[in-house]
Amino acid sequence: MKMIRAILRPEAADGVTEGLAEAGFFSLTKINVFGRGKQNGIMVGTTHYDELPKTMIMLVVEDKSVEEVVKLIKYKAYTGHYGDGKIFVTPVDNAYTIRTGAAGL
Amino acid sequence: MKEIIAIIRPKKVVPTKEALEKLGVPSLTAISVLGRGKQRGIAAELNIDIRPDVLAQGIMAGMKYMEYIPKRLFSIIVRNEDVDIIVETIIKVNQTAEIGDGRIFICPVDDAIRVRTDEQGDSAVL
Repeated sequence: MKMIRAILRPEAADGVTEGLAEAGFFSLTKINVFGRGKQNGIMVGTTHYDELPKTMIMLVVEDKSVEEVVKLIKYKAYTGHYGDGKIFVTPVDNAYTIRTGAAGL
Repeated sequence: MKEIIAIIRPKKVVPTKEALEKLGVPSLTAISVLGRGKQRGIAAELNIDIRPDVLAQGIMAGMKYMEYIPKRLFSIIVRNEDVDIIVETIIKVNQTAEIGDGRIFICPVDDAIRVRTDEQGDSAVL
């Protein structure tokens, strides 16, 4: 299992989640976060914004689905400008459903 | 070291915290998040009571489910040998036999550092 964490533009998040739902990945968690990237925030005129609002989408999928999900997120979140976000893939050892107590997704 | 990521009902936050404290694991990070699961966010799994007329309105408009359900995310970092008992406790406290009880993920963590004392590894998370 892998955990995929994508930090996206807030306005792109809905498009991404809809695309994921169409592809069969309904389960996900959405978190509003603040952060900055390589460009160190943005300058608008003379005002410097250090931390920008972003939306983090977090989902855990089986190993074989990772490539498909990453491709989908990349396609849906792309604008070609700075600030499109990043995707992180990290390992997950185990998952449990609380209602049944069963291991696995 | 392992990170336990538990996504639970907001209603169950206090009982879960109390149960973890009894185990001697009082440290955790809580984030309020929005999410949906396999059932695609059915309104009945929501933790607040919705007025029946509002619910009927939504169903008439063709909305069978909500997009996101408010949940609480707990991130707890513990030693390898403590994982099983903590997972067991969280499952026991949070079970309601209805959908929407949440999910637990166990992720590996390479290292932890306590900023105050510069400790590293297992002693930093105790």
